[in-house]
Amino acid sequence: MAALTMGIWITAAYADIAIVGGRVYTMESPEPLRNATVLISDGRIEAVGTDIEAPFDYRQIDATGKIVTPGLIESYSQLGLVEIWAEGTTVDSQVEEYAVGPSLDISFAINPASTLLAVSRMDGVTRAVVAPMPGSDPLAGLGATIRLGGDKLLVESRAALFGDVTSSAANFTGGSRAVLLQRLNDAMHEAARFSPNRYRAEGDEYSRQDMAALKGFLRSGKPVVLRVDRAIDILRCIELAEEHGLRLIVLGGAEAWKVRETLAATNTVVVLSASGNLPAGFDALGARLDNAALLQQANVDVLYAGSETHNSRNLRQLAGNAVAHGVLWFDALKSLTQIAALTWKMSDAGVLRPGAVGDVVVWTGDPLEVTTWAAHVIIQGRIVRMHSRQTGLFHRYRSPD
Amino acid sequence: MAALALAAAAAGAREPYESTYEPLEAPDFLIASTSVYTGAGDMLEGVDVRVEAGRIAAIGADLPRDGVEVVDGAGRWLTPGIIDVHSHLGAYPSPAVDSTSDGNEATSPNTAEVWVEHSVWPQDPQFTLALAGGVTTLHILPGSANLFGGRGVTLKNVPSRTVQGMKFPGAPQSLKMACGENPKMYYGGKEMAPSTRMGNVAGYRAAWARAVAYREQRDAWLAGDADAPPERDLTLDTLVGVLDGEILVQNHCYRADEMATMMDVAQEFGYKITAFHHAVESYKIADLLAEAGICSAMWSDWWGFKLEAFDAIPQNAALVDAAGACAIIHSDSAELIQRMNQEAAKAMAAGWRMGMEISEARAMRWITLNAARALGIDGETGSIEVGKVADLVLWSRNPFSVYALADVVWIDGYAYYDRKTSKMPVRDFDLEQTVRGMSR
Repeated sequence: MAALTMGIWITAAYADIAIVGGRVYTMESPEPLRNATVLISDGRIEAVGTDIEAPFDYRQIDATGKIVTPGLIESYSQLGLVEIWAEGTTVDSQVEEYAVGPSLDISFAINPASTLLAVSRMDGVTRAVVAPMPGSDPLAGLGATIRLGGDKLLVESRAALFGDVTSSAANFTGGSRAVLLQRLNDAMHEAARFSPNRYRAEGDEYSRQDMAALKGFLRSGKPVVLRVDRAIDILRCIELAEEHGLRLIVLGGAEAWKVRETLAATNTVVVLSASGNLPAGFDALGARLDNAALLQQANVDVLYAGSETHNSRNLRQLAGNAVAHGVLWFDALKSLTQIAALTWKMSDAGVLRPGAVGDVVVWTGDPLEVTTWAAHVIIQGRIVRMHSRQTGLFHRYRSPD
Repeated sequence: MAALALAAAAAGAREPYESTYEPLEAPDFLIASTSVYTGAGDMLEGVDVRVEAGRIAAIGADLPRDGVEVVDGAGRWLTPGIIDVHSHLGAYPSPAVDSTSDGNEATSPNTAEVWVEHSVWPQDPQFTLALAGGVTTLHILPGSANLFGGRGVTLKNVPSRTVQGMKFPGAPQSLKMACGENPKMYYGGKEMAPSTRMGNVAGYRAAWARAVAYREQRDAWLAGDADAPPERDLTLDTLVGVLDGEILVQNHCYRADEMATMMDVAQEFGYKITAFHHAVESYKIADLLAEAGICSAMWSDWWGFKLEAFDAIPQNAALVDAAGACAIIHSDSAELIQRMNQEAAKAMAAGWRMGMEISEARAMRWITLNAARALGIDGETGSIEVGKVADLVLWSRNPFSVYALADVVWIDGYAYYDRKTSKMPVRDFDLEQTVRGMSR
């Protein structure tokens, strides 16, 4: 097999694994399995339970006194698209002054050698949504899902269409949200009956490539993720999605709590980012720390996204803060695992059950706490080496002599 | 210069720009049987803390409770009020729109003449959010586009119609200086100096040389050796304030090598650097910083947003502290300032993860006493010690937990924030508009 040509490191990492003695949250029940064993074989979960004997030839990981969960899923990021924000040569997350909209497929830009991946996976982030950002069009393009280790980075390209209908995106359409929303609506109607031979773009209309991509997306059943904060704008996005039969995911959602009944009735998922309580602009005057709690109490599914891609590792701190402001602990953990996996159509991730992908984290304690860390991370059945550029710098300077 | 101020004082008037802050009258109280991080490096369990006339009057087991209101501290934790040495609240308020962006006088590489207190909008709703996170004192700095950004100001986190009403009485102003990418990229982009790091350093040295000459002219006049004082120069007034030791230097500087260069500049012109801010590479020269007695104000884990932040590591604060240098966690953010306790916790745990031993009591200094020291107010606040002002936070649980919330926040013994009763200052902007200002 591949290990023969790829050396000892990979061979060792492919070994079957038994995680023994931990408190295991499979995510199928809020009650953990105590002193349980998780077997991982051939990249997948083989068995989970309290009455399992670890085979002698499995590599054993002692999880006594520790907590075992599925790997965490970052629901919005630019992982692999940016190395250093201020260095344009390292940034591929957005396109400016170039006529491209929904046909932009960001998977062509993802860099598997990015230093951000090692930093993030060392803290238990095993999968991520990678999204383009709007640079000159409210529709930024098609995002992807990735794993942060394993044999192949890309899980799915064109996993969702990303857009922005906040006041700042309105600047792409002359400054008014009225134009922005009508343009989106018109473009989707146009795309539904798009025929490449008959289409001629006029003025600032979408190109043939964009219309073809939009048509393909409309038929795909994949979600459209719109950044939107103001309550009335969220309602308008819901109307837009209903008119076109789209599955909407709200990103940001500072005022989502104000329209939580409608969000619940339409099964609209909300991705919350950052702490989210600053009235940072006039779109977000209703921002509040218990947004997540209010949404979940109204049966709206909530996901979390780190506020800045370099610190996707702070995803769990964000969820911990949601718990401090009213979210149930298990619900917060579910948002980082099972619900994220279901939302992003990665149904083999986010849970620990036989057949699921072998993405597992062993935590030194409560994973939502700020004084715990990932003792072991396993992605697709392979043990992650706890090394990053940051650990290299630490070891070099720990003893300057 | 000084003569003007003296004239005002002689007339019995308040000096212009002086603090008008007066602590609010508050009843004496006692926090009973609580756990305490003193901020000075100690942890106490099951103690009472008694506050009289806005100051800490006694700390100990089973203190007399006569005639004072008793606050139940059982199961809760008391810390000094959190101090943020690097904030832009009021100068970059919410809502963050062009018309409120008042933090960077980016019109010349040297704007030492501007005072950020003249940009601070006391109605910024972010002050209340920071208070709910336990922040009782904050140092507002101008931005970092310039080599010399202007004067910073230390504020009490109290509601006030005027910025003067927030100024921490007696706290020294600071001079914000900036190394590295920001000045050279900003002015280089305008095809003017500085456009390189060597240009940055030449800019500092030229300005300090002018300041030294200005001070000599002033001193000659004060000594009666000159006919007239030098023509007043507001820019040089600030720099001379530093040379005279009245204004503290808060120096934005990411890279270790640039910090070492700045230490040489300070030595050449005879001034002291109080703290390097955003000092993401302090861990590379922690021994030099310890020797020079310079504090490092750091994030717990921000990195990679620009090249000079690419070598930031989460163990930075732990390594600086372990070397015996002064470690401070700062925010520079209206979001982080609400959770300084969590930032300190992450920085501590990052050290734990690599096998370093750091007690929670020690890490608490990073957001309290060490911060007070870097602002020159450690004689008044920053630790729970008898005689200091009662700037206190009572936490719902150990503040090194993500689940800990500030239950009560006192400033000079007055409870400005009480989570249980939703008592908090509501800024004008919040009224009938944000969640905080809605009618109940």
